Amino acid sequence: MPAGTGAHGPAGSGKTLPERGLLLLMVLVLLPLGAASSPDISHKEVLDHKAADAPHNFTKKLFPVLSLDYKHIQTPFEISLWVLLASLMKLGFHLIPRLSGIVPESCLLIVVGLLVGGLIRLAGEKVPPVLDSRLFFLCLLPPIILDAGYFLPIRPFMENLGTILMFAVVGTLWNAFFIGGLLYGVCQIQQDNPSNLHQLELLPCLLFGSIVSAVDPVAVLAVFEEIHINELLHILVFGESLLNDAVTVVLYHLFEEFSGVGSVTVMDCFLGIISFLVVALGGVLVGAIYGILAAFTSRFTSHTRVIEPLFVFVYSYMAYLSAEMFHLSGIMALIACGAVMRPYVEANISHKSHTTIKYFLKMWSSVSETLIFIFLGVATVDGPHTWNWTFVTVTVILCLVARVIGVVGLTYVINKFRIVKLTTKDQFIVAYGGLRGAIAFSLGFLLDNDHFPMREMFLTAIITVIFFTVFVQGMTIKPLVELLAVKKKQEAKRSINEEIHTQFLDHLLTGIEDICGHYGHHHWKDKLNRFNKKYVKKCLIAGERSKEPQLIAFYHKMEMKQAIELVESGGGVKLPSAVPSTVSMQNIQPKKPPPAKPVERALPQLPKGREEEIRKILRSNLQRTRQRLRSYNRHTLVADPYEDGLGDLLLKKQKMIELEKKIKDMTNYLTVPAAPPDSPTMCRARLASDPQAYSMKPVSDSVPTIQVDLASPQSPDSVNLMDEFRRADHQQEEDQGLMMKPPSGQRAPNKPAEADGAREQQKLMRCLSDPGPSADEDEDEPFLP
Amino acid sequence: MGSSSSSMTNIPDAQQLIQETGFSAAHILRLYERFEFLDKDKRGELRQETVDFASFVRILAHFRPTDTSRTRDGAQQEPANSSTGKLKSAFQLYDQDRDGKISRAELLQVLRAMMGIQVTEEQLHSIAERAIQEADLDRDDAISFDEFRQSLEKVNVDHKMSIRFLK
Repeated sequence: MPAGTGAHGPAGSGKTLPERGLLLLMVLVLLPLGAASSPDISHKEVLDHKAADAPHNFTKKLFPVLSLDYKHIQTPFEISLWVLLASLMKLGFHLIPRLSGIVPESCLLIVVGLLVGGLIRLAGEKVPPVLDSRLFFLCLLPPIILDAGYFLPIRPFMENLGTILMFAVVGTLWNAFFIGGLLYGVCQIQQDNPSNLHQLELLPCLLFGSIVSAVDPVAVLAVFEEIHINELLHILVFGESLLNDAVTVVLYHLFEEFSGVGSVTVMDCFLGIISFLVVALGGVLVGAIYGILAAFTSRFTSHTRVIEPLFVFVYSYMAYLSAEMFHLSGIMALIACGAVMRPYVEANISHKSHTTIKYFLKMWSSVSETLIFIFLGVATVDGPHTWNWTFVTVTVILCLVARVIGVVGLTYVINKFRIVKLTTKDQFIVAYGGLRGAIAFSLGFLLDNDHFPMREMFLTAIITVIFFTVFVQGMTIKPLVELLAVKKKQEAKRSINEEIHTQFLDHLLTGIEDICGHYGHHHWKDKLNRFNKKYVKKCLIAGERSKEPQLIAFYHKMEMKQAIELVESGGGVKLPSAVPSTVSMQNIQPKKPPPAKPVERALPQLPKGREEEIRKILRSNLQRTRQRLRSYNRHTLVADPYEDGLGDLLLKKQKMIELEKKIKDMTNYLTVPAAPPDSPTMCRARLASDPQAYSMKPVSDSVPTIQVDLASPQSPDSVNLMDEFRRADHQQEEDQGLMMKPPSGQRAPNKPAEADGAREQQKLMRCLSDPGPSADEDEDEPFLP
Repeated sequence: MGSSSSSMTNIPDAQQLIQETGFSAAHILRLYERFEFLDKDKRGELRQETVDFASFVRILAHFRPTDTSRTRDGAQQEPANSSTGKLKSAFQLYDQDRDGKISRAELLQVLRAMMGIQVTEEQLHSIAERAIQEADLDRDDAISFDEFRQSLEKVNVDHKMSIRFLK
């Protein structure tokens, strides 16, 4: 989009028209925001007015044609304004690519929050207490956690569960006690200070330590999403940030309770440990129950596809609320719910519902995250601050030190049990990635001012720690990752080979474990899978899909994904460089950095292009398997003409692309699927993908005959080509055995094609320079009767 | 674990096996006990496939966790439990006719064994077809060892193909 708008004004000379418009819009948004936050004044005026009117019995006024009643819509209006502001900010950042490359979005958002808060204060209004704990925990946090939990990569998570738990539980405990204890010591040392730190007792210190020690999932997500490190590190830090919620909840409640009492006995510690187990396991149990309920409900939604996503959201939210009701760990409940329900729900719901769920979750979590950071900024401006140099600096230093010592120590122990050890680089990233965020602030905000007179000082310190970690660590982690050459996430698509071989290795290892008599990791996983297949799937998945093995499901999913990609790409002239664009259509990560390195992408493109082509050739199999799929519930139910016609459209478009690419690549590397003869539709489809025409062996002489390069769909001759193929089809229809005999098969499709060869050549040249089709007009064609 | 005497002298070629596979003496002992347990008829070999103890150990050597701190001298053969060794052993399970390539038929056989009666032949064919299309870079309609290794590059083989028991 920037490229397009840049064409309007002088290139690169500062602000262009849309950006000016954006700024204007933002100012307009901010003004009412400031005005809106002082509702009291207008309210009082109206009251006075009413009071004045009362003695006069209905004095006749002129009928108000137009009146302003702000009070009526105040709350929703303010909420919408904030959401709008957040979204506009997000838009704005991506219009300034250089900035978003250096500074992570979270930092920018906090700065925006500071600005907004500052503006409101300058305008003389009272800054609204936006980061209200209830609002935060009940509205802002759940979408982010649900998004994380629903899309949690289960396999790496489970494989590293031991490590993650160690970091989450033991690490957080260590942090809390270390920070709290040392802070208390430092406070005791401070004698007769005007800031009377001396008064701070042990328990409030420990409470503060437990609040500030928890790694925050929101901050981690925000920063790590931009640096694209390898899966292992990502899942370690992220999993830790999710699972330490249980520890934080228990410690918080424990110390809060006992701060009132003033002393802790051994019994209390023991109860604390029990409480931790109850909180953690209870949360997971609650989540799992709701997850199973959701999966079970989705089994019956085949007639009401439209509300399917709603079940996912509502059940998850209720899991969260139920867990919070019992003071269990809501985050763990949400994660468990999402992770448990996902495989079953995805097997039951339609493809569109799946897309809806994905996009809604991403949208909500994105907006939530933006709002949280902005509110952090605003709350910083707002909150009463008590700045105490000693306390704050000691806190920041202790946080860092505790984290480093904790990670190093724990890794030493963990590495004894891991097969693949964590290297020093890994440890550094894990330690450095321990960011604090809004959860710490909200927990601090919840503190009661009576019990904790030092509340403001705590809040100031918490905010400083948050700022430090988010700004300093958040900004520098990306260059550090580059500097240390940490392994990055591999962008390659998941291939079916990988899936096959991984499953194969699973089976193999289970067998070997069985031989060794060792009840290891694979053994239990296998047992779980068997149980799942035998009992659970039958209950929770509707119809025939309950018997579908995982590999088949995966295969279908991949085929479906690519079929949609194909349609979305317009099926027109697309050079291999366009392949990333189709990939990016699937890539719904809102914060994906703009692909600013075309040079690098040039190299792997050709193999990718080939890969795409082969996959599209295989679409002939898609038709066959899709026909087989029609016996499944979710396809036969909704008679969607678009979906029905999709198959034919796909095939036609696919063969066009194939032939185009053939010209460019001029190599022949297609193999023939040994497919049994089928219905005439199948025959046409097979011809469409024309593997037979290109022989079983890589014979080069077949290539020159394929001079047909189909013009892009916009070309008026594309219709003729359809006829060509239909004509060629007729010649072949009687000969079903053609499939197996390539030499005879070469003639027929090539003959009519050859005639067009020369004519089409120029058209291809013209079309290659086309920026890209909008295939809308073409898509309508097959559906017209 | 049975009445077999737990002494190293009973185990044939113990030293050589230790040398070859890198297991420790305690491991060999444990594996021997396990072998005895499985070998119920006391035939000195496991049923059907007639695997004697030495082969048993050699096969299991592939699944030992990788030694990360091993110094490799040039003359020494590729150890069985390195990444390559593990992958090679897995590859050989696919490639039953030992021609160095996984042909379509072999792949189909493995797929059939994995999924068996739950899927139709056509679906198996499509999957095998697609798998070969994706992996086969030199267009010889079969998957060679290097192509196999490349398709598994994202998988952490060291982690996946190791059993802690054998450490």
